[in-house]
Amino acid sequence: MAPSENLAPAGRANTGNGGGAPNGVEKQQRCQFNEVVLRNRLTALLVDGNRFCRTIEQGLLRAYGVETLAVDNGRAAVELIASGVKFNLIVIDMLLPILNGLEATRQIRAMGVRCKMLGVTACSYEREREAFLAAGVDVFIEKPLSPEILVPILRELDGQ
Amino acid sequence: MERNPMGRQLAIMRQSLFDQGYLDEQFIQLEELQDDANPNFVEEVVTLYYRDSARLILNIEQALERKPFDFNKLDDYMHQFKGSSSSIGAKKVKAESTLFREYCKSGNGEGCTRTFQQLKKEYATLRKKLEAYFQMARQAGPMETACRPK
Repeated sequence: MAPSENLAPAGRANTGNGGGAPNGVEKQQRCQFNEVVLRNRLTALLVDGNRFCRTIEQGLLRAYGVETLAVDNGRAAVELIASGVKFNLIVIDMLLPILNGLEATRQIRAMGVRCKMLGVTACSYEREREAFLAAGVDVFIEKPLSPEILVPILRELDGQ
Repeated sequence: MERNPMGRQLAIMRQSLFDQGYLDEQFIQLEELQDDANPNFVEEVVTLYYRDSARLILNIEQALERKPFDFNKLDDYMHQFKGSSSSIGAKKVKAESTLFREYCKSGNGEGCTRTFQQLKKEYATLRKKLEAYFQMARQAGPMETACRPK
């Protein structure tokens, strides 16, 4: 079976398999996170140079009904925003080819874009966190992007 | 979920992957993205991970053969690899990736080399365990692996 790149499942996230969760309470919390209904059509731009990570993160966003567009470098993200395309949410990695995430974020903010920006990266050092926040992201997230972090943000964007 | 002995074995095998520290909660998040329309989503994602990350492993190997080490490049490669590994919940692989990056930051070439060997072992071990798990899951039948429909 050849894996396809478009692995994003249609529809909302469902509850998981039984077992494997650290304990029953956490499993119950996870089920609650999965019951997310967005009243509004939300759009997101995903900027990640790693194809695999783009696939996973798009899958997660689409599972919650967020329309997602993905690009693989910072310059493409800046050009897309500069062309006038608007998003409710931008999820951007720090390490990007052509134009890195820090500079891309600065340029996007310099255009007057005020939408929610999540800096999602495999970095876990404090100085990198500070740099990304200083560049203009609203939230710094160490990968992976998880429902526990994403859902409250989506609810906030949805006005819930 | 456990309708038959094979289902029970599958559950035990799955739980052991968490108990032994090979996988973390992110794997469960992937399972929760699986549904009736995409019953093999997790296996496809894992397959894509190993296919995609093989390139990064090769890049790192080649970079470690060049002296002096380019620690910035090594760190960049491992940054990408860590991101992918964390996205499937590969806990031990992710831990070794973090350690490797710390050695890059401190310019410790021997530490990088040693850690990379350990990382490759964990990467290969996880692959074998997941292959065995998915093989058993296929034998157990679709109801044992697909998430409960809403």
